[in-house]
Amino acid sequence: MRRVVTLALLFGGTRLILPLGSQGQGSQALLSFGFLILAAYTVGEMAIAVGAPKIVGYMVAGVLFGPHVLGPVSLEGVTRLAPVGDLAVALIAFLAGAELQWAEIRARGLVFLKIMTAELGLSFLVVTAMVLALHGLIPAVSALPLAEVAVFATLFASVAIVHSPAVTLALLSETGARGPVARTTLGIVLLADVAVVLLFSAALALARTLTPPPGTDSGPSLALVLWEVGGALAIGGLLGLAVASYLRWVGKELMLFAVLMAFFGLEVARLAHVELLLTLLVAGFVAENASRHGDALRHAMERSAAPIFVVFFALAGARIDLGRVAPLLPLVIPIALARAGAIWAGVRLGTRWAGVDGAERDFVWLGLVPQAGVAIGLAAILANVYPVRGADLAGLLLALIAVNQVPGPILSRRALVASGEAAAESPEAREATLARSRDS
Amino acid sequence: MSAGILLIGIVAGAYLAAHVASEWLARRHLVVSGAEYLLLGALLGPEVSGLIQASDVDRFAPFLTLAFGWVGALVGAQFHLSDLWRLPFAPFAVALAEAVLAGAITTAAMGTLFVWGLGLDPAEAWIPAVALGAIAVSSAPAGIAVVARKLRTRGPVLRQLHVATAVDALLAIVVFGLLLAAAPPAFAAGDRMLSGAELSLVSLGVGLVGGALFHLFLGRERQIDRLFIALAGALILVSGAAAYLRVSPLLPALLVGFVLVNTSPSRSEIRQVLGRVERPLYFTLLIFAGAAWRSGGPGWLAVSAVFVTVRVLAKVGGAALAARALGALPRLGRGWGWGLVGHGGLAVALVLNYHMYDPSPLSNSVFTAALLSVLATDFISARVVGAVVETASPPRRTPPAPAGDERP
Repeated sequence: MRRVVTLALLFGGTRLILPLGSQGQGSQALLSFGFLILAAYTVGEMAIAVGAPKIVGYMVAGVLFGPHVLGPVSLEGVTRLAPVGDLAVALIAFLAGAELQWAEIRARGLVFLKIMTAELGLSFLVVTAMVLALHGLIPAVSALPLAEVAVFATLFASVAIVHSPAVTLALLSETGARGPVARTTLGIVLLADVAVVLLFSAALALARTLTPPPGTDSGPSLALVLWEVGGALAIGGLLGLAVASYLRWVGKELMLFAVLMAFFGLEVARLAHVELLLTLLVAGFVAENASRHGDALRHAMERSAAPIFVVFFALAGARIDLGRVAPLLPLVIPIALARAGAIWAGVRLGTRWAGVDGAERDFVWLGLVPQAGVAIGLAAILANVYPVRGADLAGLLLALIAVNQVPGPILSRRALVASGEAAAESPEAREATLARSRDS
Repeated sequence: MSAGILLIGIVAGAYLAAHVASEWLARRHLVVSGAEYLLLGALLGPEVSGLIQASDVDRFAPFLTLAFGWVGALVGAQFHLSDLWRLPFAPFAVALAEAVLAGAITTAAMGTLFVWGLGLDPAEAWIPAVALGAIAVSSAPAGIAVVARKLRTRGPVLRQLHVATAVDALLAIVVFGLLLAAAPPAFAAGDRMLSGAELSLVSLGVGLVGGALFHLFLGRERQIDRLFIALAGALILVSGAAAYLRVSPLLPALLVGFVLVNTSPSRSEIRQVLGRVERPLYFTLLIFAGAAWRSGGPGWLAVSAVFVTVRVLAKVGGAALAARALGALPRLGRGWGWGLVGHGGLAVALVLNYHMYDPSPLSNSVFTAALLSVLATDFISARVVGAVVETASPPRRTPPAPAGDERP
């Protein structure tokens, strides 16, 4: 309660200051960024108190104090803070890659692959079918011939099935869960990330052939797609080896090094036009597994992960425009439900195929519902290639992502708690309860 | 080349080179410095090689603003009152007198040069003169920390130098912060122009009210990661608010650091959190200060020569006068002020902040003078401190200070 009152005072103070100052040197963005961090932190703590994951609180704070609701964080501020969000994505991807152990891949890689194939395949089919079935209600494609609708439905589905490595990692970090449900969920989410990039690129290449986009921006060629993935593997591998060398020969100031390395990976991936997430996932994986000192970097990054998650999820929330999402809910909710159902059925099928039973069969699907950054990036590519229809579909995708963003982490956390891999109440929640009782 | 990659290359290369070299130099030869980063920034900046463009410096302005705030909070967090009450008053009185004398002498000399030498109107000249006076007051504590570790001494001179650097930093930031608030540059007109007095109150108010609010916000939080998020948010907010209102972020952030460390039960954790990102911020600050440097400006050579000379004389002379006036000469010796001539990170933060607020040609001369002073004194500061301590009193051996005590 104390923090809420303080936040309200800070909000009032920020609103008082805003008319007095003047733009320049990004100071307003800095002001609103500071406020957003404090707001996200506070709402995150409140989320724990009601049994929800902190990242839900971060996103709610982003929505609430972002440009579309209360507004101390302006649209320009969100745009100016985009590089901070990108850096957070890069750090999260590297950390996600570093979480994967080679021994685990050797032992359980086939299990992950089978579950992922069944789950992703079924989700893709179900979402495509849903879009085809509902296409008369979707203005972007309602007037198109069925063949073209199918093309756009394929593109839509290839983005809609994406999971969220960031949410998975944030929850593992928050709960400390390291059991089979947590590990299998992480393995599938990371593998699916690679598969979805390939699937989306293939769907886009197919769409470009069957429904050529207007103008000169004709979307990626096959060679470009191969380069995006192959280049990411090569560059990520080299980056990982460089990190491993640093750890071996220098091994100091790991936090600073981690930030620089993520920034470097981000820039290289951008300049080389390779897939960013994949580059840093591979870099993290190679660094962790090619060096005996990989643990040290991972622990240093885990220690610094909390602020990164605050920034990433608060900015993700600030980008959600409730005014645009609300009218799309009647369309999006059935698709979201169908997707969740397909994930559930796909995981059941996949675990049976892989011969896995017990908690993984029952709970892993819950961890695959959330969506965040990757899907937003792919939706933006779709809007870029098809400026009219693609942009409308991207709006629908963003609404779907927004719908999955809030219940997704709650379901993920529930999976970890129900499987017994995380305590129902985190140590932080217990501490918060104690603090509240002390305060009162 | 991409500005981002270039920046990473610079920071990583400089850091690695300096990390290896500076540890060895500090341990073996009592040379401790951050000036090499400053030099590197200047070499890569638009004035020399052009690898870092002026637009790159502008793009990182919010980061620099945050760095100023962080530096201010670190200084404020040194002043825990109940610890300070337990210490004898004399070293503080001597330090304050030294700081006031050094600042006043430098301000007077620079003001005279601006008015008589460069023909500036006194109404224009006083602002850069006072800014240089405030910058002159600051002293680098890194050399002192290195000497303390190397000689393992805790004699009166070393104690006095520790106190003096803290008091110097406090006075420099307070004077500088009030100066930028009370005499905002002409271009700083916002939607509604605030008077100098109003901005001074705003500057103090943002710090004190912010400190009180963040005290409530942090509560009894002791967990380092959560404290880091809250403290980083608080400092980003305060620095952003100060910059948005066109006042220096250093003073409000100093007050926030001071309030928090004096009211929070988690003061050691707060100091730990503040120290956690100090080095990366410091290195980046130095590199960008170097890159932001422009040659020229009215009488830059004279301004630089006079400033470097007068500052050294003012520090040494002011320290001797203060010790004599307060009866501390037998304890400290006449030359103890030599230990304060090192000019370090705070001076760079102050002058870069000044340069960002006032892009006039004279500001170039002020900037050049302060950077040259850092370059001229930073490399030798530890050796000078060592000599002062050895000369003043035979070292009394005590256990070594813990590593990480060194603040650039």
